[in-house]
Amino acid sequence: MARVVVLGAGVSGHTAALYLKKRLGRSHEVIVVSPGSKWNWIPSNIWVGVGKMTADKVVFPLAPIYRRKKITFHQAKAVALYPEGDLNSPRGQVEIVYTDPTRVGKTVRLGYDYLINATGPQLNFAATPGLGPDGGNTVSVCTPSHAVGAAKRLAEVITNLKSGSPQTLVVGVGHGTCTCEGAAFEYAFNVEQQLREAGVRDKAEVIYLTNEHELGDFGVGGMTFSSGGARVTSEAWMESLFRERKMKAITQAAVTRIDPGVINYTQIDGTENAQKFDFAMLLPPFRGVGLTAYDRDGVEITDTIFAPSGFMRVDADYTAKPFDEWTAQDWPKTYQNPSYANLFGVGIAFAPPHAISRPYATPGGLAVAPAPPRTGMPSGAMGKVVAMTIADMILKGALTPTHHASMGEMAAACIASTGTGLRHGTAAAMSMSPIVPDNARYPDTNGRDPRTTTGEIGLAAHWVKRVLHTMFLYKAKAYPFWYLIPE
Amino acid sequence: MDDTQNRIDAAPLPGTIELARRSNLGVQLLHFMMLNYTMYRLAKSSH
Repeated sequence: MARVVVLGAGVSGHTAALYLKKRLGRSHEVIVVSPGSKWNWIPSNIWVGVGKMTADKVVFPLAPIYRRKKITFHQAKAVALYPEGDLNSPRGQVEIVYTDPTRVGKTVRLGYDYLINATGPQLNFAATPGLGPDGGNTVSVCTPSHAVGAAKRLAEVITNLKSGSPQTLVVGVGHGTCTCEGAAFEYAFNVEQQLREAGVRDKAEVIYLTNEHELGDFGVGGMTFSSGGARVTSEAWMESLFRERKMKAITQAAVTRIDPGVINYTQIDGTENAQKFDFAMLLPPFRGVGLTAYDRDGVEITDTIFAPSGFMRVDADYTAKPFDEWTAQDWPKTYQNPSYANLFGVGIAFAPPHAISRPYATPGGLAVAPAPPRTGMPSGAMGKVVAMTIADMILKGALTPTHHASMGEMAAACIASTGTGLRHGTAAAMSMSPIVPDNARYPDTNGRDPRTTTGEIGLAAHWVKRVLHTMFLYKAKAYPFWYLIPE
Repeated sequence: MDDTQNRIDAAPLPGTIELARRSNLGVQLLHFMMLNYTMYRLAKSSH
């Protein structure tokens, strides 16, 4: 009997665990280790953050699902890897510390034959002084509890507006190297809609603050797509949307410090600015969760397995080279660690080989460089292909990965909500193929296939986002025929 | 130099027809089906 351990139960890890169990059946063991007891459909946190959805609608307990699917679940945090085992056994091991209230703090080592690192990110609020809801001066929508706090603070701001006090609301990213600008963009527009519905929009200033070089970059270098029969850049598309909704934007910014009511940021031309605010939701940068690794003799080999960012090295080309020399082919295809063939890193947990958006820095050397997004659709796809590869290795004796899903080849769809409501909701639906531009394959269209790189704004896109919420919760709960719903 | 706000101020606004299209139930229902098909096709062809 082979044992596969999956670290993390987010989109990528949970998808991998379900597909592994489906392929391997009862003959082999699948174990999931996750510090949280619940699964969270993160894209809908933005609706919790404006009070349009309750937190219980975006989460569900993992244990009953895993019990039903015969997957072993440990509510615990992984802290160390021993890919060569120890002096007693050559079998790989992972050390975990339980967060389960019944045995909190207890440490054990789990042996494994294959391990998938799908831990997701550590929310690095500490990277910017004053950032975040826990001891900082801003709110967040990264977790359901953060989003509930954001909704509460937004309600207070709306009360202030109703009493006649003008308010400034800033939504964006809280560091020069943040990713997930799309989520901040969505939240900004949902906040704006909430203010309009409350009848206080005219008294409020809504500002989108971002590290993107221009609007519509989203950490993927922007897009040129067909919209309504015309070719248009995502930058022009977004500028029009911002004007339509009377929203302001600050781009090319690295937030350096947040004091009570004041965001300090530096732009790439070196100007230092201070933006006053009454409400600020700024996303944190991500880093790896801080796993350490040791060889058989107990010598630390963390640098062999993980990049300095804490994310796991996989089959990417990490050779340092100028931005213009990076290619789509540098991106990983199998997510297998180059040092240990039974180790895989998926979702946010794998180390990207380079930025997709051109990185910039201030004259003082402060990075203003959006990190590549690796969430949602590609994250689920990675989880599935790695599960399929491991199943083939166990069941068919495959020696090398049998399934591939490179971000340099795969497409992604992004539905960015710009306001909720069955009749008056709206969203921007964008699809791109591939995610990482392939300039050799599509030299005349900024590296992307013009037939499948499209943009659409309207009520239909909101309906799609709402349907995705329901479908992915259904799939994640592993209800009948869950596997027919594509990642 | 960040001239984003100037660009926003000069950006074209959607016309009456575009605004009507975005909320017309018939048009949006058609787009809903097309978007779902596009996303399904992209997802199935990706891996």
